[in-house]
Amino acid sequence: MKLVVNGTDVHVSDGINVSQLLVERKVRLPDMVSVELNETVLQRAEFETAQLHEGDRVELLYFMGGGCGTHAV
Amino acid sequence: MGTSVTPLEALGEIEAPIFQTAAFGYASAEEMADVFAGRAPGHVYTRLSNPTTLALERRLTAIEDGIGALATASGMAAIAATSLGLLRPGDEIIAARGIFGGAISFFRNVLGRLNIRAVFVDGADTTQVEASVTDRTRALFVETIGNPAMDVPDLPALARLARARNIPLIVDSTLTTPELVRPGEHGAALVIHSTSKFINGHGTAIGGAVIDTGRFDWSRGPFEDVAAIARKAGAHAFLAHLRSVIARDLGGCPAPQSSFLMLQGLDTLSLRLKVHCENALALARALADDPRVAAVGYPGLASSPHFERAQRLFGERAGAVLTLRLGSLTRAFAFINALKSARRVANLGETHTLVIHPASTIFREYQPEDRLSLGVSDDLVRVSVGLEPFTVILADFRQALASAEKERE
Repeated sequence: MKLVVNGTDVHVSDGINVSQLLVERKVRLPDMVSVELNETVLQRAEFETAQLHEGDRVELLYFMGGGCGTHAV
Repeated sequence: MGTSVTPLEALGEIEAPIFQTAAFGYASAEEMADVFAGRAPGHVYTRLSNPTTLALERRLTAIEDGIGALATASGMAAIAATSLGLLRPGDEIIAARGIFGGAISFFRNVLGRLNIRAVFVDGADTTQVEASVTDRTRALFVETIGNPAMDVPDLPALARLARARNIPLIVDSTLTTPELVRPGEHGAALVIHSTSKFINGHGTAIGGAVIDTGRFDWSRGPFEDVAAIARKAGAHAFLAHLRSVIARDLGGCPAPQSSFLMLQGLDTLSLRLKVHCENALALARALADDPRVAAVGYPGLASSPHFERAQRLFGERAGAVLTLRLGSLTRAFAFINALKSARRVANLGETHTLVIHPASTIFREYQPEDRLSLGVSDDLVRVSVGLEPFTVILADFRQALASAEKERE
């Protein structure tokens, strides 16, 4: 299925959840990422249960301190 | 929550490598821009993050059962970042009176310059804390065991009070570590550590940390900027605020080698705390029975007014720091000078037994009446009980007490 991750179209396996998305996309430092699904911020405990569907928009945000600050918010 | 010990796990390393680098390189401008914008993960500059330090933050998060942590250059850097991340001019913070002198100085002198008022109360008296809360109060700050007051705040009651007023309870657990208590389990919002103490354990590095327990809803708190970040970072809003604004701009980052030394200390924390606490309790009991000692401050003594609360919060182990009153400044100095095995050191939580005279050192800047109100009398000696065989510690203290007795003659 197709998702929009950080504004870019990506193809992922059908029926996966957010945790599986992080693995499939080989997301580094998964414990440092905030995930927004269709403009709703998910709690980490929801990563396993949040099922993804065709066309979902996912934003991955890292607060590592670079220059993101509140500009990314 | 990842609890991985190693940052890379790429080469089969079983201990966290020391990433002794100031900065991290990128292959393209686009990749670097993505990291700076938070669209991609990555380390940029060790002032902001470092893999060795991240490994420490993961461990601290796991052992405090928190949702995340930020390691800092020192315990004071953790207190500074946390306070400045929450408070604005006109705000108030209520702090326990019997806490570390450096924290009191920061609240008074640094926050005071910013027109942030610190209100000092008896932290063990929840009624007094509650009576001091105003519409401007934005946080409560206590130590699990006041150093050097040796008092024990009622963490669950303070957490209920904080929750009712929608403000975070900040608990400095340096003297207890997660081995004795996890403040988050009693409702604390943030846990602070000076990792230089028992976590490092060997007196080889300076460090600190703040751990978010996940118990405070930053999206509904009185901190507008943190609430704004919560719309993107959810429960991690305060740590994101620290990491991407406050701590980043203050610059109090840990050295990677220090983070490694803290990780190494954590491996033996459980074993060390067991012996530290056993020695401290045995020493406190022996000295409480010694007529040459005017008073012993230790919440593990049944005679302490904080004994029952300490038992309830920490179980049988009440830490490894105690205080002695020896009747006069002269006798306190004579006792300290006569110690042969214990060291005269401005630190605590090391393998060796350490002593200090708080009134002439940590609290030197305070007026005598001010010191007394903080529980720091001229005859007070603070002891951090080490891991030496107990018979060695006791013999050293007894010969030093005998030597100090001569001052009376």
